[in-house]
Amino acid sequence: MADKEKNTIDWGYVFKVGLILFVITLICTLLLAITNSATAPIIAKQLEETSKQAQKEVLPEATDFKAMDTVDEIAQNVGESIIANIYVGTKNGETIGYAVETKPSGYGGEIDMLTGISTDGKITGVKILSQSETAGLGAKSTEPAFYEQYTGLDALKEVTVIKSGSVNGNQIMAITGATITSNAVTTGVNAAEKAVQYITTEGTQVMETTGATGSAQ
Amino acid sequence: MKKSKMQILKNGILNENPTFRLLLGMCPTLAVTTAAMNGLGMGLSTTVVLIGSNVVISALRKVIPDAIRIPAFIVIIASFVTIVQMILEAYVPSLYAALGMYIPLIVVNCIILGRAEAFAYTNTPGDSFFDGLGMGLGFTLALTLLASIREIIGAGTFFGISLFGSGYEPALLVIMPAGGFVVFGLLLGLINMLTNKYEAKAKAEGDKLAEEVK
Repeated sequence: MADKEKNTIDWGYVFKVGLILFVITLICTLLLAITNSATAPIIAKQLEETSKQAQKEVLPEATDFKAMDTVDEIAQNVGESIIANIYVGTKNGETIGYAVETKPSGYGGEIDMLTGISTDGKITGVKILSQSETAGLGAKSTEPAFYEQYTGLDALKEVTVIKSGSVNGNQIMAITGATITSNAVTTGVNAAEKAVQYITTEGTQVMETTGATGSAQ
Repeated sequence: MKKSKMQILKNGILNENPTFRLLLGMCPTLAVTTAAMNGLGMGLSTTVVLIGSNVVISALRKVIPDAIRIPAFIVIIASFVTIVQMILEAYVPSLYAALGMYIPLIVVNCIILGRAEAFAYTNTPGDSFFDGLGMGLGFTLALTLLASIREIIGAGTFFGISLFGSGYEPALLVIMPAGGFVVFGLLLGLINMLTNKYEAKAKAEGDKLAEEVK
């Protein structure tokens, strides 16, 4: 009898235990669903506010921002797939610049960053929104000492990175030990420059074509 | 023998320090200890989650059958962490911005599962609370210590404050992953040495006492 019990599966027990696990999972899922539905709108609102604030930081003169819906098209036309979002900054209804969100690849993954460029061709600010670079090295890209180097540079010329010496012209000094990160952020800035150059030179055409069908040839 | 709450607390911080004595949670330990602030943040977040999961598991210990306790623990811990994450992000965004990156790491931290299995499943919620608190604080202390050493040597700063001025050339290796292993190994060796000395001394005194009694 004892031997037989060892070899057969006690289905009653299996179902009972399975049912308990099912109930635990069900309760957990319910709790998660309730929390999610309660917090999701608040989180979305907060993210939007943070994003607005960041746009203001990189383009301080603008009072109002509006996302462009032709981002993908512009990104394709300038050949920079890292361009994620473009916000038009306006003041008293007049366009004074752009905040371009780019996502270049750094050392520890994607760097989400925002570059502000004024319509008169100056970089007005750079801000790192999120990054996963090495703390103490690449993570220094979030410090003003690094990103403020871009402010005031010429947005019509490519920004380059140097590792030693002194910067002159459109150059920035790399973070010691984090050349990859410095290059990545600069790649993001340069992509933003290209996008803004494209918008300002072919802006009217883009507006017209997207107004009709959205396919610029 | 039943331990007092104080003993449970001390056990987590010293005798069974999760990092230096039990060697649990090595992955986040080496990954986040590049700056003192990160160590402290990860440690405190883990403490909160550990207390919460310990109490919940302990309260449910009579409902959860032995055969399915591990999947049940994982589901409960992961749900608990996710709920905490969502609430933090919605209502305390500043705290979430500082600690957000550690929260997903906590789910896979084996200290949480380890304490659920080793302590909370067989003890009362009250004791489990103190076990979570003690283990969490022990983890926090260990991480902050390790991270401070790595930050001071590897970046020349402590909690972001520059210590040696611009003349100091930081030993970057210490902040890199390989340096993490080296510093951790040396620290572990030092602590084992001190513990052995202390135990030998305690034993010698005990022997002496026994001799005198004779």
